[in-house]
Amino acid sequence: MEVIFRIKRFDGTRQYWGEYPVPAEKGMTVLEGLYFIKEKYDGSLAFRASCRMAICGSCAIKINGKPMLACETQILHLNTTKINIEPLDNFKVIKDLITEFEGFFSKHEAVKPYLIRKDDNYQEPVELVQTPEELYAYYDYTLCIKCGACYSVCPAAATREDYLGPAAMAAAYRFNTDSRDEGSAERFAVVCTDKGVWRCHFAAECSEVCPKGVEPAKAVQKLRFKSAIYALKRIFSGR
Amino acid sequence: MHLREFFQEGDSMNWLKWFEIRGKSLFSIAFSLHRLTGVVLAFYLIMHLSYLTSLRFGQEVYESFIATTVTPTFLVFDILLVLAGVYHGVNGLRLILHEFGFAYEIRKPLLYFTYVVTLIVWLIASYQLYRYVMGV
Repeated sequence: MEVIFRIKRFDGTRQYWGEYPVPAEKGMTVLEGLYFIKEKYDGSLAFRASCRMAICGSCAIKINGKPMLACETQILHLNTTKINIEPLDNFKVIKDLITEFEGFFSKHEAVKPYLIRKDDNYQEPVELVQTPEELYAYYDYTLCIKCGACYSVCPAAATREDYLGPAAMAAAYRFNTDSRDEGSAERFAVVCTDKGVWRCHFAAECSEVCPKGVEPAKAVQKLRFKSAIYALKRIFSGR
Repeated sequence: MHLREFFQEGDSMNWLKWFEIRGKSLFSIAFSLHRLTGVVLAFYLIMHLSYLTSLRFGQEVYESFIATTVTPTFLVFDILLVLAGVYHGVNGLRLILHEFGFAYEIRKPLLYFTYVVTLIVWLIASYQLYRYVMGV
């Protein structure tokens, strides 16, 4: 079956739509379609991809208006003969389907997405024991692959560039909920701001589009509640 | 290190994206409607306060304003205003509940419930308004 790939192209100055017929077969993914176009029609078509198995998060693009991973989206499952492919919203487009992720990763880094311990001793490391219940409290949020799909549909991110976004705050919640972590105060200082949890308006679209089912909207709301308690404690303790 | 240092400057983003519904779920549409109805209610509030302020210029001025707007011609706008107010209020309660971290798992049924409650309250209120304005 022939499917038309309608791709939003950008060469640095000019934006236009390119149309390419792709002979789709059962099991063929959108990413394979993009590689087909690159090899057969236009070698200048730019897109990101790496693992081809929905683990690296590189190939998130807008397919028929919705952010998806190109590597796990099968062409025939879209049930259409024309597929609109665009770069993610809320990101600066560099070329064709490639968007600037520097800011996205900077925000992720800002929430300190790693275990913070007061007793770090690399010479004599100790095992940090955790019960299954303690693991399940945050496990879902460890599945985030930083593809940027959630950020691209967030209306709060659409109008404020310095907003941390759902992925970064889900990471903050993941580490704040980890029983081994002792750095929640440092993260609250970052997320309990107008650029953090208080900017979220609960459009919940982030959870709807997450290809890994991470539910970032849930993490942000839980983090918001904990941030409120943190803020109240700070007010009454006078610090 | 100050948070600002982490952030990169990109293309300026556009609030019009709030209203792009292509490929979006009902949650985004609920968000866009909440914004729209908020703007409508803000305009209404300004008009409402202007009407009340007209009382300073005498009862006749106020009553002439009322005679212009409390009419069958304006009934359609009043009914739409009630819809905006009811939706904004009911959806606002849903948002408050979620933003306290509650009921996330039932967010979809709760969203449908919001629309159903809005519709019922709006129909009842519109009927009452119709009866008042038309004098039936």
